[in-house]
Amino acid sequence: MVIQDYGIVGLFLVLGIAFAAAAFIVSWLLRPRDPNPVKNSTYECGEIVKGDSRVQFNVGYYLVALMFVIFDIEVLFLVPWIVIFRELGVVSYIEMMIFVAILVVGLIYAWKKGVFEWQ
Amino acid sequence: MSLIESIRFITPEIILLAGAIIILMFSLFVSNKNVLGVFALSAIVAASLYLPQSQKVEPVLFFNMLTNDSFSLFFKEIILFITGIIILISIGYEELKEKYIGEFFFLLLNGAIAMLLAVSSNNLLMIYLSIEMLSLISYILVAFLKNNTLSSEAALKYFLFGALSTGIMLYGISLVYGLFGTTDLAMISKAVSAGQINNLVSLILLVLILAGLCFKCSLVPFHMWAPDVYQGAPTAVTAFLSVGPKAVGFAVLLRIFSNNFFHLYINWVTLVMLISIFTMTIGNVIAISQTNIKRMLAYSSIAQAGYMLIGFVVGTAGGIEGVLYYIFAYTLMNLGAFGCVILVSNYLKSDAIEDYAGLYKKDPVTSFMLSIFLLSLTGVPPLAGFWGKFLVFNAAIQSKFILLAVVGVINSIVAAYYYMRIIKFMYLEEPKAKEIGPKSVPLQIALAIVTAGVLIAGLYVTPFLNWVKYSQSFF
Repeated sequence: MVIQDYGIVGLFLVLGIAFAAAAFIVSWLLRPRDPNPVKNSTYECGEIVKGDSRVQFNVGYYLVALMFVIFDIEVLFLVPWIVIFRELGVVSYIEMMIFVAILVVGLIYAWKKGVFEWQ
Repeated sequence: MSLIESIRFITPEIILLAGAIIILMFSLFVSNKNVLGVFALSAIVAASLYLPQSQKVEPVLFFNMLTNDSFSLFFKEIILFITGIIILISIGYEELKEKYIGEFFFLLLNGAIAMLLAVSSNNLLMIYLSIEMLSLISYILVAFLKNNTLSSEAALKYFLFGALSTGIMLYGISLVYGLFGTTDLAMISKAVSAGQINNLVSLILLVLILAGLCFKCSLVPFHMWAPDVYQGAPTAVTAFLSVGPKAVGFAVLLRIFSNNFFHLYINWVTLVMLISIFTMTIGNVIAISQTNIKRMLAYSSIAQAGYMLIGFVVGTAGGIEGVLYYIFAYTLMNLGAFGCVILVSNYLKSDAIEDYAGLYKKDPVTSFMLSIFLLSLTGVPPLAGFWGKFLVFNAAIQSKFILLAVVGVINSIVAAYYYMRIIKFMYLEEPKAKEIGPKSVPLQIALAIVTAGVLIAGLYVTPFLNWVKYSQSFF
């Protein structure tokens, strides 16, 4: 094991931390101190702050996102398969149909359980 | 063997998957416990009929990802048996509502697939993937009583512990890959016997992989989750968790360690010996003070894993036969004990040990069966549990692991106290005024099967010993 190689990594680590710390300390020393309520409030793209950022999301968002993933993955696998379909032959066709069938089962299940009915 | 030819060897898994999907679809229109349960059961029966036979020359399946040796077949038979019994038990478990029963059986069958894959994996990545699939399903099953806070708490604890230990094991696997350049167990075995491996690194990776598997088998430094999870989970799921993942954990432990890392020049045997001693002792000592029967059985199952580990430490053919027979016997008696707990809790609505007082006068059949299972867990001849203990202790003595055998025997005597205490409550205490309700028929069928199993495997042991001997012959 070449210990000098790790020495360079260690030096890089120390310098990196020192640089970040120095930037903060220098700007803290140089900046003018003139606070007011507007400056102290949270910066939200220039908008006036509307309440706490820790709000509850409707769980429906996640269900829809999961549904999206089903179709996303489907496309991800279907496109490369289509590109070389001629060389792969009939076995790959059967395999892909099984894959799509399993995804369709998931879709039917979600549909029947009312995932697509937005409350 | 090409991919298409390999598919023949995973017919049971394919049958189970098809069955699970059909159940899921079917449950959208019909949600009747009996109909779906019988369907799930028939999927299990069909899968066990199509279990591949073991071959003279081991076939190389899916680029040596899976294998089909007698060892994996032994565990496959046990896993299908476990899942079948659990389905029967859960049909009779009143806490499981009919609304979600389709999803329950779907998850259970998928859990069976994960376990079947895990025991036949021949590659660390495949082992990791299948154990992870099993874990994810277990977390959901533990949380199945959504409105019960204990159930949710148990699931969260199980998930956090599980995620951590899987991470640790995965890190160990990554070290294996870094060291050997492969995750294939056969290749690792070759590299290990060729020698020239850094001892420190191999010690670290062994400990890391061991930690992940210890969690699955609830062995001592990683056992804390077991009591809470076993108590909070629906009892049918507890029965499943106490035998299924544990059997898988031991199968993987035996396959990785006894078969591949046995020739590493570091003393991992001493480490596992200490784990075994602590597991037995801590499990038994804490079990004494429990007042909830599910919690007591959780600690007892921790202790039982300690006994099994004795055979693994010994590592000889006799020791491994002992482990295999013990797993078989443990499966029978633990499923039976939890089945009785469900039967009783269905009409008592309680899992407290005091409420079992005088059960004999109201329900003699269940009391008798529960006594058989508890006596078998104690290791009283001529029941199945006795032969399990006999085989592992015998193997330990023959290989000069006297300390292990002595600790094991002392622990069995300690364990006798808390097992007998329940029998004492049932037979000698005065009954409390509570009526017993109607008993579920599928649950009674399951209990009858398991009781017969415990008695037959105890009284007529030769065929089972031959089965075990044949299964370990691949080592």
